[in-house]
Amino acid sequence: MRLYLHWPFCVRRCHYCDFTSRVAGVNTWRAYASALRKELEMWSGILPRNRELRSVYMGGGTPSTMSGSEVSGLLQLTRRLFGWKPEVEISVEVNPASWGRSDYADARRGGVNRVSIGAQAMDDRVLFLLGRAHDAHAVSRAVSYARSAGIPSVSLDLLYALPREWGAVFPETLQRALDLEPHHISLYALTLSRATRLGRMAENGLINLPGEDEVADEYLEAREMLLSAGYLQYEISNFSLPGHECRHNLAYWRREDYLGVGAGAHSFLMGHRFRNPDSVLEYCRTLHSGGLPLQDLTPIDAQEAHWERIMLGLRMSRGIPERLLAGEEALDLMVVHGLMERRSGRVRLTERGMLLSNAVLVSLLDA
Amino acid sequence: MERERIRNFCIIAHIDHGKSTLADRFLEITETVPRQKMADQYLDRMELERERGITIKAQAVRMRYTLDPDGEYRLNLIDTPGHVDFSYEVSRSLAACEGAILLVDAAQGVEAQTVGNAYLAVEAGLTIIPVVNKIDLPVADPEGTAMEVADLLGIDPGEVMRISAKTGEGVEELLRTVIRRVPPPAGDAGRPLRALVFDSAYDTYRGVVAFLRVVEGRVTRGAKVSFMATGTKAEVDEVGYFSPEMTSCPELGTGDVGYIITGVKDVGLIKVGDTVTERERPAAEPLPGYREPKPMVFAGIYPVDSDDFQELEDALGKLKLNDAALTYTRESSRALGFGFRCGFLGLLHMEIVQERLEREYGLDLVVTAPNVVYEVVKRNGEVVYVHNPSDLPDLSAVREIREPYVQATILSPPDYVGAVLELVKERRGVYQDMSYLSSRRVELRCRLPLAEMVVDFYDQLKSRSRGYASLDYEHIGFLPGDLVKLDVLINGEPVDALSSIVERSRAHEYGKRITRRLRELIPRQLFDVPIQAAVGSRVVARETIKARRKDVLAKCYGGDVTRKKKLLERQKEGKKRMKMVGKVEIPQEAFISALRMSREERAR
Ligand SMILES: Nc1nc2c(ncn2[C@@H]2O[C@H](COP(=O)(O)OP(=O)(O)OP(=O)(O)O)[C@@H](O)[C@H]2O)c(=O)[nH]1
Ligand code: SF4
Ligand SMILES: [Mg+2]
Repeated sequence: MRLYLHWPFCVRRCHYCDFTSRVAGVNTWRAYASALRKELEMWSGILPRNRELRSVYMGGGTPSTMSGSEVSGLLQLTRRLFGWKPEVEISVEVNPASWGRSDYADARRGGVNRVSIGAQAMDDRVLFLLGRAHDAHAVSRAVSYARSAGIPSVSLDLLYALPREWGAVFPETLQRALDLEPHHISLYALTLSRATRLGRMAENGLINLPGEDEVADEYLEAREMLLSAGYLQYEISNFSLPGHECRHNLAYWRREDYLGVGAGAHSFLMGHRFRNPDSVLEYCRTLHSGGLPLQDLTPIDAQEAHWERIMLGLRMSRGIPERLLAGEEALDLMVVHGLMERRSGRVRLTERGMLLSNAVLVSLLDA
Repeated sequence: MERERIRNFCIIAHIDHGKSTLADRFLEITETVPRQKMADQYLDRMELERERGITIKAQAVRMRYTLDPDGEYRLNLIDTPGHVDFSYEVSRSLAACEGAILLVDAAQGVEAQTVGNAYLAVEAGLTIIPVVNKIDLPVADPEGTAMEVADLLGIDPGEVMRISAKTGEGVEELLRTVIRRVPPPAGDAGRPLRALVFDSAYDTYRGVVAFLRVVEGRVTRGAKVSFMATGTKAEVDEVGYFSPEMTSCPELGTGDVGYIITGVKDVGLIKVGDTVTERERPAAEPLPGYREPKPMVFAGIYPVDSDDFQELEDALGKLKLNDAALTYTRESSRALGFGFRCGFLGLLHMEIVQERLEREYGLDLVVTAPNVVYEVVKRNGEVVYVHNPSDLPDLSAVREIREPYVQATILSPPDYVGAVLELVKERRGVYQDMSYLSSRRVELRCRLPLAEMVVDFYDQLKSRSRGYASLDYEHIGFLPGDLVKLDVLINGEPVDALSSIVERSRAHEYGKRITRRLRELIPRQLFDVPIQAAVGSRVVARETIKARRKDVLAKCYGGDVTRKKKLLERQKEGKKRMKMVGKVEIPQEAFISALRMSREERAR
């Protein structure tokens, strides 16, 4: 089994964020942390024996608003309650400015062997415009702290497709990130919902987002750079040095069991999908009154499972066995259009297809 | 009532010169409509007429008026539409009358339909009472207008009456003049019944209502009648007149205007223009009828939702009952599915039919760009009429394509004659001659392909003459043209609904515009999509819609598979609502805009 731990709090809200993250005070954090512990305990009472964790992923929000030792505390609790497999992967998302040298060391001692640093950009001005709570220097400092704490796998998140007038040249951003020699890089296109500050600015024409072609070019150029720097693409947005794939994320796409703990966390266990409420208050209240806040419990039948295998599996570079799409006319069409390719009994998205994965999936779903 | 006390007259004019408003004053003076029920343009009874402020259907009404010392008169008034699309309504109304009030707006002066309708009335042998209206307007020029009217009719300006239909000034005097000057209907009450069906309506419960002008004899409730052209036999269930509601009465005498209901439900059995006679004692000769109005403008009407096809057919059937000029036949289009090719008298007629279908029957429609009917002579001598450009036979089998022409009369102030002539030339018109109606109005005659009318000739005429020029036209038949069919191909598939017939020399220009617009309208697909305009197998213009490059790939929390699934489901649902042209998906709205656009482009 795999475990996801959600920490919904951030020190401030980024201008592009529409996650259900919150800025809240220490008291809320404390109440939430105790609810988290409670939820973990309850699940440990429910789940069957063979449940040692293959991976733990702490995501948010910003889990690094906790100190390194608080993070360790939570992780050690999971170890006591569920047990860890020897090869367990333990990731934490870290804001570059949150932690000092000792936090990384504490985290490492608590078991963290992978940090995902939310760099997003490598230029102070751009970071400021994004509303990020850190500068560019913080990124390189965070990487070096993580390294010297002995954390064996370091990942950087980067945003591309930024507003034109910001003058950010993505290959330069990426080069600066590569100079830090991370083991793993995730690339995400900036997408703005109307509810966000930048989204409203875009709507009012105060900023101009690059067009489809420019964004595609940016992505392809970045991909080229990463490949020639020795990284492998194992998923649409994810690149890593050999052996540094995020196994926890791969598990989502391979439909392995995972338990999500915390407000808004999703789970897939024993053929069922379910989730916790987004509301931190509701989440805490339910747990403190002795219940599990679980909702939307949905059994996944064979047909649904088949579709999930296709739609999740195609995110990965290795693709899926061709037999999953046996007799699918749409597949031939996708191959003709150069969006998918067949390779020794498997099918996968081509480089063009990755950029159009939704459209491809909709075509396959259509049939 | 004896014949000598009946007056049948109509009001004719150019559009908006105040016919319906004048009718309002008559209704008031004669107390035909109770004061509290009175409303502006009372005789415009259709919702659409009221909303647009125009008359679409002629409307008859019977009034009573006492003229001292003679006593009471019965006045049958018909208010007519002014728009050229509905001029057949005017001709039909004229046949039911002995007199016509020719109304002219004092601020606008004589306009094209003033002339056109005046000629119609003269031809029909009616007494014309010329009247200048709207003298209350500050910009009115009653004297100048009276002079123009007098010139037109060859009379003395002093004979032209001046009124304001709005304030009522001069209206009662006009009514008296009508009684004095319009002759009572002729006709022998003792002879066998002959009544002209000048219009009809359909009542869901009671069937066809035939509007009659009794020319000879009389018709009573219970009479056994027959319709001379169709041979339909029936018994009269109800006789009545318009007040303007249908009001039953025991009989209609010689010279009267009213209606009969016979229980006939099949509209095909009672035709406008037919003559009603009695079965016991049939008349020897029918009255001269009308030429049936021939639709000249055609367009495809399709339901947006293909499930509504049957409903659309029913709705068209019902509309046709009260709109004889409308025609429709089933057709199918690869791009649009099943629908109808409908024939109209003109663009306004088309718009009104579309609006009524949408409004009164709650239908969501796609209407293709309108086209005229083409007369195609094949190499084997066969002549076919093409109502839909995509039905044009293969050009190798065609000897000649002929298109309908109109004889147009344009009235314009001298200052704008140059601009008007230029427009006529641009629109492939042939100028014929020109004469001065008065020092401030030139009458210009020319021939124009109807196809040019169908687009925006009229709007252009108005805009290039600052609104001063007006237009009237009549059909004069087909003339050969150097015409070709221009097909539009999306990804190699011809889209029948976008085909058009254009002049050869303009095919390239038009093709370029339409392909460019389509490129902007059709969203990018997963592959490159060529858009071509072709004449036969020769591509005259080409654009390419580049393949899509990128989806929205937001960072989303990997564990939330459900959300991703829902997103894909939603996109798939969206896809279902797309029009498929071959493998190309076009959102419904874009497709409709494409059709609309092809209409606009045609207009340039
Ligand atoms: N000032 C003024 N306005 C008038 C007069 N008569 C009519 N109008 C206005 O002119 C406009 C057109 O009047 P209608 O009576 O609808 O004209 P119509 O000739 O029946 O129009 P169609 O049936 O569409 O051809 C309306 O806005 C009337 O109020 C008048 O004597 N004086
Ligand atoms: S750190 Fe992430 S979750 Fe927090 S506000 Fe910024 S974008 Fe949102
Ligand atoms: Mg009117």
